[in-house]
Amino acid sequence: MTHTLRTFFPYVFPFLFVLAMLPVFQFSELPKADFTFTNGTEIESLDSAHVSGAPEGRIIDAMFEGLYRKLPDPEDPNKMLPVPAMATGYELSEDQRTYTFTIRKDAKWSDGSPVTAHDWVFSWQRFLHPETASKYSYQLWYLKNAQRYTGRKIEVGDRVEIERDDRPNPAQTYPRGTMLAGVVKAQEQLGTEDDPIYVYEVQLVAEQAGQPQWDQPGETQRFVMIPRFDERKHAEHAANLVRQVLPHFSEVGVYAEDDHTLVVTLENPTPYFLELVSFYPLYPVNQACVERHGYPDWTKTENVVNNGPYNMEFRRIRDRIRLRKNPEYWNSGEVSLEVIDALAVQSETTTLNMYMNGQVDWGTTVPTSIIPELIERDQEKLNQPGREKEQPDMRIEPMLTVYFYRVNTTKPPLDDARVRRALNLAIDKRAIVEFVTKAGQVPALGLVPPGLAKYEQQVSGDFNPEEARRLLAEAGFPGGKGMPRIRLVYNTLDAHRDIAEVIQQQWKRHLQVDAELVNQEWAMYLKRMTDLDFDVIRAGWIGDYPDPNTFLDMFVTDGENNQTGWSNAEYDQLIEEAMSESDEEKRMEMLEKAERILLEEMPILPIYFYVSQNIVRPYVKNFYPNLQDLHPLHILEIDEAQRDFILKAEGVR
Amino acid sequence: MNAPKPPPHQAYDAAFPPLEKYETMLGEAEAIHGISLWQDAWRRLRRDWVSMTSLGFLLLLGLLAIITPLLPLQSFKEQDLKRRQFLPPTLSSQIEEPIPVEAEGDVPETETRRVSLAITQFPTDSDEFRRRYGEIWENPNLLDQAMIRARLTIFGDWCLPSLCGTDHLGRDMLSRLFWGARVSLIVGVVATLVSLLIGVSYGAISGYAGGWVDDAMMRAVDVMYSVPFIFVVLFLISILSDDTVKTRLADYGIDRMVILYLVIGAIYWLTMARVVRGQIISLKNEQFVDAARTIGARGGRIVFLHLVPNVLSVVIVYLTLTIPAVMLFEAFLSFLGLGVEPPNVSWGQLANDGLKVITPIRIYWWLVVFPAIALAATLYSLNFLGDGLRDALDPRMKNR
Amino acid sequence: MIEFLVKRFFWLLLTLWIVYTFSFFLMWKVAPEGANLSERKFPPEIQANLDRYYGLDKPLIERYFLQFGKALTLDFGPSMKLMDLHSSQLIRQGLPISISLGALALSFAMLLGFSTGIVSALWRQSLLDVGFRLLATLGIAVPNFVLAGFAIILFVFILKWFPAAGWGRPIDLVLPALCLAAPFAAYIARLTRTGMLEVLGQDYIRTAYAKGLMPRVVVLRHAFRGAILPVVSYLGPATAGILTGSLVLERIFFIPGLGTHFIEAITQKDHPVSLAVVMIYTLLLFTMNTLVDLSYGLIDPRVKLNK
Repeated sequence: MTHTLRTFFPYVFPFLFVLAMLPVFQFSELPKADFTFTNGTEIESLDSAHVSGAPEGRIIDAMFEGLYRKLPDPEDPNKMLPVPAMATGYELSEDQRTYTFTIRKDAKWSDGSPVTAHDWVFSWQRFLHPETASKYSYQLWYLKNAQRYTGRKIEVGDRVEIERDDRPNPAQTYPRGTMLAGVVKAQEQLGTEDDPIYVYEVQLVAEQAGQPQWDQPGETQRFVMIPRFDERKHAEHAANLVRQVLPHFSEVGVYAEDDHTLVVTLENPTPYFLELVSFYPLYPVNQACVERHGYPDWTKTENVVNNGPYNMEFRRIRDRIRLRKNPEYWNSGEVSLEVIDALAVQSETTTLNMYMNGQVDWGTTVPTSIIPELIERDQEKLNQPGREKEQPDMRIEPMLTVYFYRVNTTKPPLDDARVRRALNLAIDKRAIVEFVTKAGQVPALGLVPPGLAKYEQQVSGDFNPEEARRLLAEAGFPGGKGMPRIRLVYNTLDAHRDIAEVIQQQWKRHLQVDAELVNQEWAMYLKRMTDLDFDVIRAGWIGDYPDPNTFLDMFVTDGENNQTGWSNAEYDQLIEEAMSESDEEKRMEMLEKAERILLEEMPILPIYFYVSQNIVRPYVKNFYPNLQDLHPLHILEIDEAQRDFILKAEGVR
Repeated sequence: MNAPKPPPHQAYDAAFPPLEKYETMLGEAEAIHGISLWQDAWRRLRRDWVSMTSLGFLLLLGLLAIITPLLPLQSFKEQDLKRRQFLPPTLSSQIEEPIPVEAEGDVPETETRRVSLAITQFPTDSDEFRRRYGEIWENPNLLDQAMIRARLTIFGDWCLPSLCGTDHLGRDMLSRLFWGARVSLIVGVVATLVSLLIGVSYGAISGYAGGWVDDAMMRAVDVMYSVPFIFVVLFLISILSDDTVKTRLADYGIDRMVILYLVIGAIYWLTMARVVRGQIISLKNEQFVDAARTIGARGGRIVFLHLVPNVLSVVIVYLTLTIPAVMLFEAFLSFLGLGVEPPNVSWGQLANDGLKVITPIRIYWWLVVFPAIALAATLYSLNFLGDGLRDALDPRMKNR
Repeated sequence: MIEFLVKRFFWLLLTLWIVYTFSFFLMWKVAPEGANLSERKFPPEIQANLDRYYGLDKPLIERYFLQFGKALTLDFGPSMKLMDLHSSQLIRQGLPISISLGALALSFAMLLGFSTGIVSALWRQSLLDVGFRLLATLGIAVPNFVLAGFAIILFVFILKWFPAAGWGRPIDLVLPALCLAAPFAAYIARLTRTGMLEVLGQDYIRTAYAKGLMPRVVVLRHAFRGAILPVVSYLGPATAGILTGSLVLERIFFIPGLGTHFIEAITQKDHPVSLAVVMIYTLLLFTMNTLVDLSYGLIDPRVKLNK
């Protein structure tokens, strides 16, 4: 026995290896997709209420569709225009506060059910619900009472909705428990700051067909809501415990008049509201699907129900998402590409390698160090026969995005605006864009990027070491003496490290100020930003809609994205007033003034305005650069003949 | 045939050689110096030119790494974005510098200047001097400060041209290689010494104690062999370099480098422990151990004073093979972004930075080739030296 | 042999338990909030929801026992970073890929290592021998990510033999496997050469030649078998090395294997996933070490499996 085993032994290991390699052949050869692009990091989720990144945005945009959708303007394809999508159109009221959208009759979900106005009421309610904790919920706060709903702000006399503590699954917000409606008669807050107990006396009202009858008041009851409920600690309240008390959702400015009419009421006239509804956080989700599977299970490939041009065929983690044309999509006849692969490639070098090798048609980033060579290459190819008129591969266009540093204005010495101005003046932004980022970025002297209609760009002082030294001396640190080390926090990325190293040296050289670089992973970086645990921290902001407001409303006192501790009453007031100003010119003036205040006080150090750095094969048609770097997948087309020609010319095939 | 039988005492006399013979024997014995294992090994090693070359190279490298601040190098961290980005290797120490031209339309003129530290023009106690000093060197320790002073006295502002080119921020590659050597070598050597300390003590104690202690200790080693330590290390480093933890550790004087030494050292000791234990077991019943015990030596003394020196040969061979493994591991950590932090550099990090600029469009070859050569040459030498030492210290090769 | 395997199984359980316990307390002690939950300050009821979802609402010790129980059923909990996914999905998708890559690399390593080792030993000190040895040392002395960089330029862009990166077809694995195999092929070649040289000088080989056997038979049947022993003992550490190396190569070649998931998980503090991967790696390593010990007894009759 042993002997035979021994004879066989030399073959045992090879056999094992062959066995181990079987999985390779299990993956039958994948049919090649019609179009492949690199999508950056693996998406965190498909749930539009839970994500905020660009890679997630691209996939959600392909799989879902909102009332409107941004597509290239046929007259000037470099401009993006909201065009009717799930809605066929809208009517705007006199006071510019009420939009009445008509929902498309032929719009269907991928399971065949019709898309109705109720889908938005549900989706937006879920989006605004405090327990959903959407990062983007402020995008909907333009709706009447929406901010109150998310912030659970309740006053005596308000109509409220009460959710009993009987959810089918306590860990899921939806489906919700039994709902009651009523009017608050009295309220008080017990418990401690960390462990509050909210007590409400509510006069309940009867309901008919799901609609509360406000004119039929019933009995008054006592309800207790405890966010951190603990059976042992709060036993006395157990009898009156409810899950949630919120302002009644009928108070929020969205309701479905019928299946195909959606009425939206805003707090203030908002000229860019169409831009907002065509932004992916405001896309609808399917109520039946969400309630059946719950979050996050509803987004699994086998569960998800969507209404956009593409369905998810499969998802290989950290490899690719394969999208296939959705036959139920109302406009599927116009969708040209049948199968699209979105690769989760993070490395810029790998992206470029795959692009040059013909494995990828669109790369969303390229290695910075060789951008000049890529541009040169585009020039050279024009000399080849048959390619004289070819579009460049490297598409570099300005973007509505600013790269800046946030300064923690709560701690000395950075609470002194002179010090902040000095730091700003000592940064040679021109050198950074010319030699580090290299793709023709624009040095930022203000916060709002160029290219916004009617808005005049505001500028702070340009690189001026003399003036910087003077300001620093004036603030009490002549020659950098006595100035403590500055902790400069950035999130892990070579490009950020390079810029930080350059700025570190410039501060040292021009101001004699020492900076310590602190490299943080994304999650920790965000935490430090919210906790104001930094002196200076890297940041970037992509305009959500083409209006200066998307940049400027960040820095209102205690704003969600202020994160500098900076506060200025005049600034707050200007932003507030501009919001309800309907005269476009006056509004812009107010915003310009606000930006001037911001630049005077310098709670941020603007560095440069981004450019998009897409590398796209010229045979991909309908790919237009634009300020927001949006490239809807369903309008792309591929010129097969040109594809073969180009790939042959480059020796890829 | 029939020789007369000598008387008994005469037979004795004949059997013993005459006194003179003893004297000559004594003389011969005195002439023969007892050759210890080490001398013998050294003799054999000296004949092996490959090992000797390797040894020479390593000694030279070590020396250069120690006296790096004394060498006329440029700053390893000073950037020069405008003039010296991606400069290929050059022998010339001239830098072309465009002179700003007032009138438009003129071709911008260039002026040339020499590579220079530009520091000696300032008096040493001035602010300007301190600023410039901080731009060129990163917090040197006392010894380095002394060497830097000497360097400024000997060479002044003069420094070598960028013989190995410059990187993407215009920093001098040659000087980065030298400063990187310090980090890489220190990590390699110190981490290996840590592993040596743990491995030898553990193995020696286990082997000497024997019985159930030995059993338990070796069983523990067996268990640890199956622990994917590399993952534990990655995990530890990523957690310990978390900023909050880092500041807490910094209070105890522990930085990323120290963590690197400790954790890398802590995973490379297993084999060492096994080998040492085997040697100790075969040695512990030798007479010299008994002798030591008879005169009352305690266990600890016997292990560390009598037994351990006898296994040093094995340990040294293993040492030369562990250092390269550790250096490669450091490179691996740099690749994952968990190595030393800027502005410090290591070879692994340089190679990794170089790798990023290898693209099908353009290869800045000097950024990857020089660090790769530096690493490869060192690792080659260590490997060859290890092989040579193993042969030289092999008792079977004695007197050959 | 059965007794040996039973004992080994017991040790496996012990090892897994130790690794689990150590990692569990380490990760949750040092980074108690894990991934993503720390990004923003959530309102308390949302935080409570999230805590419940990830099982963070109980004291650490209680969680340890609960999650250990779950881990016994191979359930390590949902991923904290890729919110849609469960750690078991990541393992299920990543493990076969990594195993294939590793197995292919080990096969390449053995194929290259054995053949060059034998050739080196037979034609000792020839140009071939010296060349192979230099090449082998190069494999040991250059970090594999540098090797991979050069290999991509050479094989992908100059020779155009392989795709640049990606995953899906068997051919996608060849180049990464070759790069991964390089250092191990080098070690195996060295070990084979030394082993062969030692064996070739022994009496039984001379006897075999004297019997009039063909040189090919002598070398492959008799000598090689004697030389294989040190190589087999090297396979244990090699497995550990392959696992490490695959972290690098999966990253460079964009292969969605376990290594990629692990690196992402530890840097983003996605504790459930890192824990699951560490356990898988421990299991793999232990199995490989056991196989190696087992094969000693099979190859070399002098070795007794008494432990």
